[in-house]
Amino acid sequence: MDRNQISKWFKNPGKMANKYSFHVVYFCTGCGIIEIPPSITTRWDAERFGIIPVATPRQANLFLITGYVSTKTLKAIIRTYEQMPEPKYTVAFGSCPINGGMYYDSYNTITSLDKYIPVDGYIAGCMPRPEAIFIGVTHLWKLIDMDKADGYKRYRRDYKFYRANQEQLFKELGWPPLFKDASL
Amino acid sequence: MEELKKKLLAYFTDLTIQIHDDYRMCINTQKETVVSLLNYLKNMGYEHFALLSCIDWIDKGEFELIYILSAYMEVCDKYQEKEQGIIIIKARISRDDAKVISVINVFENAEPYERELHEMFGIKFEGHPRLTPLMLEREYEIPPFRKDFDTLKYVDNTFGKIPSIEERKANYERT
Repeated sequence: MDRNQISKWFKNPGKMANKYSFHVVYFCTGCGIIEIPPSITTRWDAERFGIIPVATPRQANLFLITGYVSTKTLKAIIRTYEQMPEPKYTVAFGSCPINGGMYYDSYNTITSLDKYIPVDGYIAGCMPRPEAIFIGVTHLWKLIDMDKADGYKRYRRDYKFYRANQEQLFKELGWPPLFKDASL
Repeated sequence: MEELKKKLLAYFTDLTIQIHDDYRMCINTQKETVVSLLNYLKNMGYEHFALLSCIDWIDKGEFELIYILSAYMEVCDKYQEKEQGIIIIKARISRDDAKVISVINVFENAEPYERELHEMFGIKFEGHPRLTPLMLEREYEIPPFRKDFDTLKYVDNTFGKIPSIEERKANYERT
């Protein structure tokens, strides 16, 4: 451990522990999931950075959206995101969650993800290499240090707007709202 | 392949047959003969129903259904089973009332293919037990794989009209 960081540990131990133990939901949304097995196994050992994939969203605090998001997957993404305990962070991979990417005119793929769930950071590229994932994660550390990775706080604060967007897309969501006063 | 061609031409009347590369046969036929033709070929040893696909010829106002059959190899030590190749059957149906008889009675594994085509092209398969949605989440006015489905317009109307969170918040605070 870096000796400069000892003061940070004393100042805010919860945040530091949270920062260095990202538990990732193993959720395959698209093509980018093919980058996850090499990055968590021996070649690019992701556990150096404290990243470890877990089985259920109840244990996770980092959500990697890997690749394009079809409307059917988006439903599952929202449900998974709402099940994760706070604090939780979202990082979207590739160009497709940003503006649709090569699926900009697809009949079944959404064009920008941050209309439906909050996204803390994007890793550009199609697809990003495993090194880019680690750079993205180190950026996320800095954001957490500066309290700028506040996606879950925004979700709690603006829940009714997110819920309204989700309902506009799906007409009828099959689950009750997560927080109170969800209607506009 | 040549023998099979002679047999088929003797048995069926309305076929036009081309043979490519010695082991690939292309049969153009009418939609009424497809079921009996598949039945006949199945008895000849072409038991593997590989694919059912569709092409939208919008200029001619027709859908072209494509059935691909192949045979399992009987002799494994010889690698030259030129006799049993791939058979491609093409039949055209009208685009306005897209109806065709289902081939489930002959090949049972055609069921998901027919459901997919019903969903993506809007073709009705008569005799299919359940033409329920297979892959799509939502309902479309025009089935999305038809050529007259304007994807860009659809994207602008559905995903483009959803405002970002900031816009929605600003609208909410204004009212």
